[in-house]
Amino acid sequence: MDNLDVSLTRGTLDLLILKALSWGPRHGYDVVEWIEHATGAAMTIGEGTLYPALHRLERAGFVAAEWGLSDNNRQAKFYQLSTTGRRRLRQGTTSWYAFVEAAGRALRAVSPEAA
Amino acid sequence: MPMKRPHRVFRLGGRRQVERDVDQEISFHIQARTQKLIDAGCTPVEARQRALAQFGDLPGVRSECLTLDHQRERAMQWSELAGHVAADARQAWRSLTRQPGFTLAVILILAIGIGANTAIFTLIDGFLLRTLPVPHAEQLVTIGDPAAVDDSWNGSAQTDYVSYPVYTDIRTGNRTLSDVYATGSPGDLDVVFGGSAAAASAPEHPRGRLVSENYFSVLQVGAAAGRVFSTADNHGPGSDPVAVVSYGYWQRRLAGDRAVVGRSIDVNGVPITIIGVAPRWFSGDIVGEGTDIWLPIMMQPALARGVNRVDQRSTSWLLMMGRVAPGSALARARSEIATIEVESIRSHLTGDHLARFDEGLKTDPVRVEPGARGFSPYRSTFAPALTVLMAAVALIVLIVCANVANLMLSRAVARAREMTVRMTLGARRLRLIQQLLTESVVLAVLAAIPGLFAAFWGSRLLLTAAASGPDPIPLDVRPDLRVLAFTAIVTLLSAMLFGLLPALHATRIELAGALRTSGRNLAGGRHRLGRFAVGKVLVAAQCAFSMLLLVGTGLLLRSMQRIRTADLGFDRDRMVLVDVSTARSGYDSSRREVLVRELADRARHVPGVAAVSYAEDGTFSGGRSGGHVTVAGYTAPADSDRQVMWDAVGPDYFHAIGAHLLRGRDFDERDSKTGAKVTVINETMTRRYFAGRDPIGGLVTYDSSTYTVIGEVRDIQEYDVRAKPEREMYLSIFQAGPVPKGFILQVRVSGDPRRAVAPLRTALLAADPTLAMDVQTLNNLVRDSVAEDRLLVQVTTFFGLVALLLTAIGLYGVTAYTTRQRTAEFGLRLALGAEPTSLTRLVLREAVALVAIGVVVGLPCGLAATRLLQHQLFGVAAADPESFGVAIMVLIGTALVASYLPARRAMRVTPVEALRSD
Repeated sequence: MDNLDVSLTRGTLDLLILKALSWGPRHGYDVVEWIEHATGAAMTIGEGTLYPALHRLERAGFVAAEWGLSDNNRQAKFYQLSTTGRRRLRQGTTSWYAFVEAAGRALRAVSPEAA
Repeated sequence: MPMKRPHRVFRLGGRRQVERDVDQEISFHIQARTQKLIDAGCTPVEARQRALAQFGDLPGVRSECLTLDHQRERAMQWSELAGHVAADARQAWRSLTRQPGFTLAVILILAIGIGANTAIFTLIDGFLLRTLPVPHAEQLVTIGDPAAVDDSWNGSAQTDYVSYPVYTDIRTGNRTLSDVYATGSPGDLDVVFGGSAAAASAPEHPRGRLVSENYFSVLQVGAAAGRVFSTADNHGPGSDPVAVVSYGYWQRRLAGDRAVVGRSIDVNGVPITIIGVAPRWFSGDIVGEGTDIWLPIMMQPALARGVNRVDQRSTSWLLMMGRVAPGSALARARSEIATIEVESIRSHLTGDHLARFDEGLKTDPVRVEPGARGFSPYRSTFAPALTVLMAAVALIVLIVCANVANLMLSRAVARAREMTVRMTLGARRLRLIQQLLTESVVLAVLAAIPGLFAAFWGSRLLLTAAASGPDPIPLDVRPDLRVLAFTAIVTLLSAMLFGLLPALHATRIELAGALRTSGRNLAGGRHRLGRFAVGKVLVAAQCAFSMLLLVGTGLLLRSMQRIRTADLGFDRDRMVLVDVSTARSGYDSSRREVLVRELADRARHVPGVAAVSYAEDGTFSGGRSGGHVTVAGYTAPADSDRQVMWDAVGPDYFHAIGAHLLRGRDFDERDSKTGAKVTVINETMTRRYFAGRDPIGGLVTYDSSTYTVIGEVRDIQEYDVRAKPEREMYLSIFQAGPVPKGFILQVRVSGDPRRAVAPLRTALLAADPTLAMDVQTLNNLVRDSVAEDRLLVQVTTFFGLVALLLTAIGLYGVTAYTTRQRTAEFGLRLALGAEPTSLTRLVLREAVALVAIGVVVGLPCGLAATRLLQHQLFGVAAADPESFGVAIMVLIGTALVASYLPARRAMRVTPVEALRSD
């Protein structure tokens, strides 16, 4: 699996972003780096896609943004999980696993009849 | 790695900033990626191209982010504003409840202003603006004079109201109205409940209307119980003995009993079946005069005992209301109906009558007007008075605002330190003003609630004051949306008026000066002087506004006084009038002649009665008659020059009413049915027709009879104190035709006429208890004829007093404050040997100076404003020096009284006290 098809669902991308932020504040570029690094794959549809997702999460109040200085002393916009964002990550992860397991069960099926 | 907290960078918000932020965020990403690729061995150019390619659709991402951020920004601004308002309101509430005395005083004063304005506006709304509560009222048109709801006219047709045949012509002939109904007065109704004569209740007199059978269908009003009239209720004269009662009458008189539908009642001796009850929200088509019972027009001949108006073209007594058909314009309806009505009337006139009608049409064309607001006898009379009152209460609200602004100012000074501290700590001035204004709005809204209740109560009081009887004018004064909107606007406007100045003042502070604990300073700090100046300006303004109100009140009071005492050409202070109607007692013409003589005789024997005569219309009874005459030796330039008023009177008439005969003789027993036909004419008539000639012996032809002039009488005001005297002729009541069914006994007494009312009634009813009789002193009738003037006088007097009281409070407040601030100065003056009384004079002089400023400003305004009153005044010039003089004296007197206490305090200042004060 060379490329991560991020277009799969917006929900998955949101979940990955929240996960990226779960260790502390990061700027957008950092989030992209983390996702690519953690999944071991490049984002095929463009790294820019991440930013509307981030801003949408900010508008919804799951992350809070703040300008700060990056490692090389340049101004960057840092995102941080809010309490509701953290809760969202927990619930999202649980239901993601439930989905994957259900989908997996279906994909492993050996007979046309429902189990 | 990013685990550590980044250094924070502050940024301001705003639309431009949002764009800069997004651009900067994206460019940071591209640069970071480029740098990484360079580190991995790419050339800078190649690295940047790859970074951009990896980023993807940059303009798309940018615009999507911008949209999201702008949405977030707006939501934040709104919630921030709402948060501010909520916080301000909470803080306002806290600070207001901390000073309950101050808060209550302000609310009370404001409630007066808001309540007064709402009360007057409620009446304006009720009389002038409100539409009938029927579906699509905007489609309605009235035909005729909407004020002439009780009028009727015998003789040549006219256009203000019409006869039944003219109505049917209009109804069948027009194409622009979907339908049109007619309505007229049935006269007094005697209603008896309970069928059999033994169990019958005493007759009562509900307000009734005769209406065509399509009345309810044109208005689109159904029945709350039973049914309303239908096309079936139009059988012909006397054959539709049915009635619909109003919801109010049903509740009041019939206890809301559903079983009344189908019950029979006795109306003027005719058994009538109640077929239904109108809905609660509908009390008729006459504003200010609710209808209790509706009867079909076809019942008119039966109810009036044989006087059949239904078939007669010679009796005009009906108003009409129609609904404009969909797609028709009012203008088209207007011209079409006018054409039909004029044609309908003209086709039955010939010769002289036709010429006269055409002449009359020039001054009184057919009136077809928007009818959404219904008919009203009050609208045209009360409209000017209500306009004046609206101006008066607008002045009241200005005075109230000046007063409250002053109170708020004192408070602002007390809070100067709080404001200073908050501004020093970085609060923006705009934010503080916003907070202070919120406080004003909270105060105003708190005052609006009792104000609304006061208005409701007050408007009912006004309707009672304006009514001629003991019952208030029945007008719906429940606040509607328009009234509530008006109150809201007045409330917010006054909050701005009284709140803005103190708020601006409170936040304009020299930081250093106010924080420094005010050191000893004989003249007071500069910021204090500022408060003096603003407070004084406000009080002077109050004086100016009060002066306007006082002048108006004075003018109206003097005018009313003139009306009360005006020379009407007869002995008004000694007259009692007895309005007798024989219509329901069934007298024929010859028996009426006996009756009127007998009644006059009985009246003469009542103790205290000096003289008695009688007349058909009499004085101030509301009835009037007119016609066209031909005078020998006089050629009329125009038809209108032949018009005179006339009255039929009994023997000894002019002596009995105390009028002045200028020459000739009074009527006497010679002027009977068989005697030579004679007339007495008034001065104005003599001047017109007998210029330079002796009128005695002159010949006047009226209604094809010729009368010889036997006397000339000084002009008598008979129906309106204000009216210019008209040409009038008097005929003998026995020569002018059959003795009328209704007549007026004119009784002159030697003492107080009020004490003769009851004995007269008793003595006269003894002749025939079935007679309908109304006994009133003449001055009572005159008073009723100027109901709108009385309303004006009472209300402006009340508001004038309120204005005076508020101004006194304002003056007291400012003087007391000034005196307190100058304690040190006064102490020093005393220590230096000043007389204590000189200090009192000093304080009083300053108070009077404020009034003087107010007067100087108010005087020209008053001269300009009282012109608005001109039409309401009688016998008083708008620039009446006495009214102005009294207003000024009253204001100065108020100033002296209001500042006396503080002035005395100034006198009692001891040097020690002065030293202790700051």
